[in-house]
Amino acid sequence: MRQICRPIINGFSFNLLTINILTFLFFPSSLFTNRVAAQTGAPYIHDPSTIAECDGKYYTYGTGGGGLISEDGWNWHSGAERPGGGAAPDVLKIGDRYLFIYGATGGGLGGGHNGRILTMWNRSLDPQSPVFAFTTAVEVASSDGMEDCDAIDPCLMLDPTTGRLWTTYGTYFGAIRLIELDPKTGFRVKGNVEKDVAIDCEATDLIYRDGWYYLLGTHGTCCDGVNSTYNIVVGRSRAVTGPYLDNVGRDMLQGGGRMVIAASDRVCGPGHFGRTVIDEGVEVMSCHFEADFERSGRSVLGIRPLLWRDGWPEAAKPFKGGAYSIISVRRGYSLELAVDFVRIQQERQAFWRIDPNTPVHPIAPQQLSDVVDTWPQGEIAIRCSDYMMRPHQHWTITPVPEAGGYLGGQYCKITISDTERALATTADLELTTVPAFTGAPEQLWRIEQLTDGYYRLLPKAIPGREGINTRFVLFSAADSTPTLAEWDFNSDNAKWKLDAQ
Amino acid sequence: MRHQQLLSPYYLFFLALSLFAERTSAQNPIIRDQFTADPTARVFNGRIYLYPSHDIPVAEGARKDWFCMADYHVFSSDNLTDWTDHGVIVSQEDVPWGNPSGYAMWAPDCVEKDGKYYFYFPNAPKSGRGFAIGVATSDLPDGPFRLESKPIVGTSGIDPSVLIDDDGSAYIYWSGMGIRGAKLKNNMMELDGELQEVKMPRREGMPEMPPMKVGGQQMEGLPEGFKEGPFAFKRAGRYYLTFPWVREEGGTETLAYAMSDSPLGPWTFKGLIMAEHANRCWTNHHSLVEFRGQWYLFYHHNDFSPNDDKRRSVCIDKVTFNADGTIQEVKPTLRGVGIISATSRIEVDRYSAASEGVTTALNDTVYPFLGLHASLPKKGSWMTFGDVDFSMITDGYVMLCVKADENTELTLREKSAKGKVIARAKVTVKSEITRPGMPTPFRRDQSGQWLTLTVPLDYTPKGIADLVVTCEGTAVSVDWVQLRNRQQYFTPVAKNTASAKPDEHGFIRRWQLMEPQKQDIRSNVIFTDSWLRKTFADELDKLPKKAKWYAMESPTYNMKLFRFAEKYGSQAYGNLFWCETVFDCTEDISDVRLAAGSNGASMWWIDGQEVLLLEGDRRMVVDDGVSHRLTLKKGRHTLRCAVINGPGLSDMCVRFIDEQGKPITNFNIQ
Repeated sequence: MRQICRPIINGFSFNLLTINILTFLFFPSSLFTNRVAAQTGAPYIHDPSTIAECDGKYYTYGTGGGGLISEDGWNWHSGAERPGGGAAPDVLKIGDRYLFIYGATGGGLGGGHNGRILTMWNRSLDPQSPVFAFTTAVEVASSDGMEDCDAIDPCLMLDPTTGRLWTTYGTYFGAIRLIELDPKTGFRVKGNVEKDVAIDCEATDLIYRDGWYYLLGTHGTCCDGVNSTYNIVVGRSRAVTGPYLDNVGRDMLQGGGRMVIAASDRVCGPGHFGRTVIDEGVEVMSCHFEADFERSGRSVLGIRPLLWRDGWPEAAKPFKGGAYSIISVRRGYSLELAVDFVRIQQERQAFWRIDPNTPVHPIAPQQLSDVVDTWPQGEIAIRCSDYMMRPHQHWTITPVPEAGGYLGGQYCKITISDTERALATTADLELTTVPAFTGAPEQLWRIEQLTDGYYRLLPKAIPGREGINTRFVLFSAADSTPTLAEWDFNSDNAKWKLDAQ
Repeated sequence: MRHQQLLSPYYLFFLALSLFAERTSAQNPIIRDQFTADPTARVFNGRIYLYPSHDIPVAEGARKDWFCMADYHVFSSDNLTDWTDHGVIVSQEDVPWGNPSGYAMWAPDCVEKDGKYYFYFPNAPKSGRGFAIGVATSDLPDGPFRLESKPIVGTSGIDPSVLIDDDGSAYIYWSGMGIRGAKLKNNMMELDGELQEVKMPRREGMPEMPPMKVGGQQMEGLPEGFKEGPFAFKRAGRYYLTFPWVREEGGTETLAYAMSDSPLGPWTFKGLIMAEHANRCWTNHHSLVEFRGQWYLFYHHNDFSPNDDKRRSVCIDKVTFNADGTIQEVKPTLRGVGIISATSRIEVDRYSAASEGVTTALNDTVYPFLGLHASLPKKGSWMTFGDVDFSMITDGYVMLCVKADENTELTLREKSAKGKVIARAKVTVKSEITRPGMPTPFRRDQSGQWLTLTVPLDYTPKGIADLVVTCEGTAVSVDWVQLRNRQQYFTPVAKNTASAKPDEHGFIRRWQLMEPQKQDIRSNVIFTDSWLRKTFADELDKLPKKAKWYAMESPTYNMKLFRFAEKYGSQAYGNLFWCETVFDCTEDISDVRLAAGSNGASMWWIDGQEVLLLEGDRRMVVDDGVSHRLTLKKGRHTLRCAVINGPGLSDMCVRFIDEQGKPITNFNIQ
């Protein structure tokens, strides 16, 4: 980002950019109907810190100061506070306090490459909280402006195996460096010497998973709106100190990296990775997109499901509504209405009697109108059976904007296609369908893609139980019998495939 | 108790700083990451060891507004400036006879006899009032120390000091109802001679205390007034008894001394070693030691705790003896002793001398060990920091940590405020608006904030010199100054140097680099295929005939062209680089690819034929793009590349790889 920003400020490509944006504004936006890419509200941010939770709210902090707050993880608005300005902060909860780390400088903007990384604590993220107060910021790393490093864009990682706290920092000006901090004070561990672990990255992040340390860095060019080529790549290592190699064995010190997320779904220029583990097997990554094609090309917060394939993180596409069959991972049976099976009529001959030269013709699929009158009027029970491409197995999943959302997604209704009949939860943790969607929370579903690519589905609420449900998921009690039960990533009973129709 | 303390972030700060044995390069105070007081310095095996008390913030349950000391660290140094903390050697919880939460570990001492180290320390006993003096022994000066199960019988007091005479006899001195001295038995753990019953002074309103059995004798000949903390030593056949002394009613402690011809007196009072602290820090405590032919006074002062004189820090200054054995009074300095390397953080606020109005203050009042800074109030203000060693600076630059409210300027000079300018630093805290109406998202008012400036050196002093900081504008504060040598990015290749192989990974590190050709490129978004082809073709046509070429070898796999431009170009950003290398193949090498990466766009030619174009705003990646399969015929070839970059860290790397991606190394680079 630092490479391109200066010329933009100086005026040359600023003009170019303006022209591009204007061109875009005249483009008929009605052509693009599937508006699901980013968060709702006013999620405008650059370099969002890893999402942190405080008293039930979500927070992320960006370059320049300030940040975003969300009550539900879907609707974001400004209001988070961070003093000190500078570039690309990160926040991590350690014990009952939050450690902030940030680059106090601009990475070559408005000055040279004398960078400073500072840490400070706060007992709360909520500016309204009586305990909200920042401690004095303390320098933990710096660059002198001459060396091959610019100390900005820091991250924090608390190693779950050792309890040690690590930071990488740096930008395109030279190397990405690793240092160790003291998790009790947020100060640099005395005597710790910085180590180069990558080149040519910005906004790096470190994460640990299953015996591997992952270094995520942003490549490409930022701050050029819809032409920004920012993208997030990853290398991994068995030791936190590296070497971080990509999938072809290339060291990130030689520019290596495997793509985690690039442009897609009407947003481009993802940068500044952050990982949030929601539950075992349920993870999201946060980033910003340099340009949201639905929002004048402004820089917005992005939250995407995070998948793990062969030990590599990959962002999934955002979940879109649409027509799906809902298939249990347990046996592969499809979720369906418990109604009479209606046979499709056809002329048949024993196959060994058919003349191979007889012309063929297509057979129409079964239509809703062929069967709907055979269905009861009131509630209809739910079961699973082998998928036969029939209307009682076809579901339409539709976001319900007024129902709000959760971290990275919005609540949906799940209805039998072309009807209002909606999947609902009962007070005794079983399933039913109601003849028409009413907006009741037991008819709303949270749909999350899992790290293995499958999905879990949670009703927003369970009748008779307080609060938002985060415990009970759609679950295969038997091959044919769906129910609700507690989330268990290690059981295929809790997982579902969503096959687009 | 201990666990409650751990919850305090303030305590954690100290804990964090004390977890690791750490070297600190120090001016006064010499230990800069924790409080230290009551220093006893000893020379063992040619190295100087420091045994201080260890002040900590008042612990939970301990007396407020009082000294609080729970353990002892030992430090050592071989140059008086770089100190290693060897960690805790004795803790109050480990003393078998002590109160585990007494926080009364006052001034200690350590002496060596017959290869064994004896550590003497005062401590509160498990029960009863008062203090006793304990012993711990070790085979090494930095421990581990084994604690004796009982204190020395008859030593009811604090601040032990032990003198070993030339004949091997040992004497112990301590403070308790005046200053007492006694001969130690050969085992170094018992007083020689009978104990006396001493009547305890009766306190107002308190019941009369039973008399106490005390050894040794009162030291005679010392002046009236409060005395404590004896330190005894022998020099040139004379015995010295030195001690903190309050010379006037309501005063604070001086350091004073008396002399004698025998170890236990009687003493002749001689006067002061150091006057009262100017800031009324109530205590002082000290030792004197000879190290490499020079005598030093170790003492303490509350530099890191200016508002609480019960958290103290050890300082050192030189001591001079007169011919008659008397001691010249020592004026405390901020600079302290020792030679400071120019490449270490020079805490210039610890100046040797300064103009009127120069002040010092803590950087942070919550975390004192973030150090101090000095403020130069006006144009012409200066401070001198003596004895900086510049001898290792070859191609240097300097960093300055500074703060100002207005744009100003300062210089570093040699010797004096009018001396030769080493470096000149502009402090710009309010940047000018370059173009009215243009967005300036990162332009900020940085007045009142600490900034680290980096400036080149105009001049490098030779050897050891005094460093002077002068204010050339409005007021400026300085935290530290540090010099560094520039990294070497290239080695020039001399003519007639033997040919070289590519490195083990196949990278070609030896090139002819044309002096950078300045380009007016504000943004790299213009680097499309057709723009590059046209630009490179045009530039190749008018390749400057008179341009200078530099034969360079890189110590790394990549050629850091940005650094080349910085040194040999008119500007670091916005350049076209022509690079050429000639190599010989001793046989045909078929089915190879040229594999390159570049920061900025680049084009690559072999023997005049374009083989690869890397377009766009790129960062350098090894094997980012490769050519089609090539055959390198036996004989000489020319590899040429052009790298073009606007605002980027220009760089390139290249090698030949085979069908499996393995590097080709069997050719010779001229």
